[in-house]
Amino acid sequence: MGVTVVQNFPITENRTGPSTIELLTKRISALGAIQQGHFLVDCETYTSVPQLGNPRTVHILHNSEQPATVFSILETENKTIPLATDGLFDLLMIKMANFYTSKKQTKAESKGPRYEIGDFLVKLGTVTVSQNFKGVLVEVEYRPCVVPAMCWELMREFLQGFLGSTAQSAPPLYLQNRMQDIYSPIDTIHQYLEQFTIYRKAPGLRT
Amino acid sequence: MERDLDQLYTALNAIKVLRSNVGSVFETVSNGLRADHGEEGKENKFMLELQDVLTTVNNNLRDVETAAANLTPPPGPFNLGNTAYLSQETTQERQALYGQLVNSYKWTDKIREYSTLAGNILATNSFNKTYKTFSTTKRRKTQTSNHNVPPEVIENLITGIDRLFPDVTINATRPFVPNPVIQASLGRVLKAIIAFKGLMIEWVIVKAHSESSDLWTESRYKVFRKVTENCHAAMCHFYSPTMPDLAVRSFMHWFHSYNTLFSCSCKRCGNHLHSNLPPTWRDLRTLEPYHEECK
Repeated sequence: MGVTVVQNFPITENRTGPSTIELLTKRISALGAIQQGHFLVDCETYTSVPQLGNPRTVHILHNSEQPATVFSILETENKTIPLATDGLFDLLMIKMANFYTSKKQTKAESKGPRYEIGDFLVKLGTVTVSQNFKGVLVEVEYRPCVVPAMCWELMREFLQGFLGSTAQSAPPLYLQNRMQDIYSPIDTIHQYLEQFTIYRKAPGLRT
Repeated sequence: MERDLDQLYTALNAIKVLRSNVGSVFETVSNGLRADHGEEGKENKFMLELQDVLTTVNNNLRDVETAAANLTPPPGPFNLGNTAYLSQETTQERQALYGQLVNSYKWTDKIREYSTLAGNILATNSFNKTYKTFSTTKRRKTQTSNHNVPPEVIENLITGIDRLFPDVTINATRPFVPNPVIQASLGRVLKAIIAFKGLMIEWVIVKAHSESSDLWTESRYKVFRKVTENCHAAMCHFYSPTMPDLAVRSFMHWFHSYNTLFSCSCKRCGNHLHSNLPPTWRDLRTLEPYHEECK
């Protein structure tokens, strides 16, 4: 597991979602990337019923890169508690349906092709929120390195090489406070949640 | 000597010419009258021809005589040494031995000459693989062997290195008593598994921290495979039989420069990536980072 950066790729007005993915596919293939299957990251959000007191939100996420793990992030007023559990946690959530209800309209997912290029892993995700297309998320992972501060410059160079001027010059907000820590899969999940939250709030396509 | 040989050759040549011309005299005589002498005065023509040939022989004989007169006779009988006894050999097939003997003498003479030349040339750029000198005049201190050293010496060296670099942590295991295998973790960047043979570095393999620490499987990541390759090159470069501990120390010093593997850009092209790899080469002297293609 290496350092991962998730960022939105803006869709210009004269393009559709599939054509944007196609454009990025062409670019990454030209650099010598080889497709290695597909990927899927999904997120479902549950909120606590009023009887439980202070409102709490639980986000349940799955990542096909860690297929046997269920990630959950519990948000209370002043704390965020991440949790990585095995697959049975999904069943537990069904049992708790009386306390935590899911908002069906908010199921977000990002899926698409997965490419390997050198030691990099590139995923081009089509984001849908409750079946509506919302935008394109690009995930880039540099697998040999585990400390974001060490390889951020290198990753930025890679991102710029393939996304052009739309690549961000600063690390994702979530990573900025954790640049010196050792990267773990839950950090990717946090980044996805951050992005999904923005997509959900956006009324139409995110540009 | 050279002049003598020349004269000898001219004399021999003159004899050869004389013999061939004498041969032609006898040929003319034995052929007698031929058809091309025609009908009229054939005897006269034959006589004239014979006279011509005989004059040539006469001239040649004079040449031989002058050539022989120029020769200086050898001062005394040749000393053939033990080879003189060869003349007493009676069996037929061994009488040809003298020629072979002379040939092999010439051959050894040439070898002597060439080897002196080669010796002179090689002495000017001396490159000794072993630092042992075989001179008996100077008594040197006994050379330290780097294959067979007491385990404590290696232990001291390793702890020395461990103290030298604060961000290198070293774990040593000893599968075979004098030859430790150490695992050197370089910060949070990478780890290297280094096998020693006595005081020499025998094998290095570089991996990510998350990978297994066995000595045989390569890293999953291209960048660490490249670094492994470069470590092998450096291992050979720093190898020094006279000062094995210094070799290990300088290798570790060089290896330590990889703590900026991901964060430093290439000194030549200024970029981080080249064919999707960070600068994996470190200059052996200046320790500056370069891409494989830029060094």
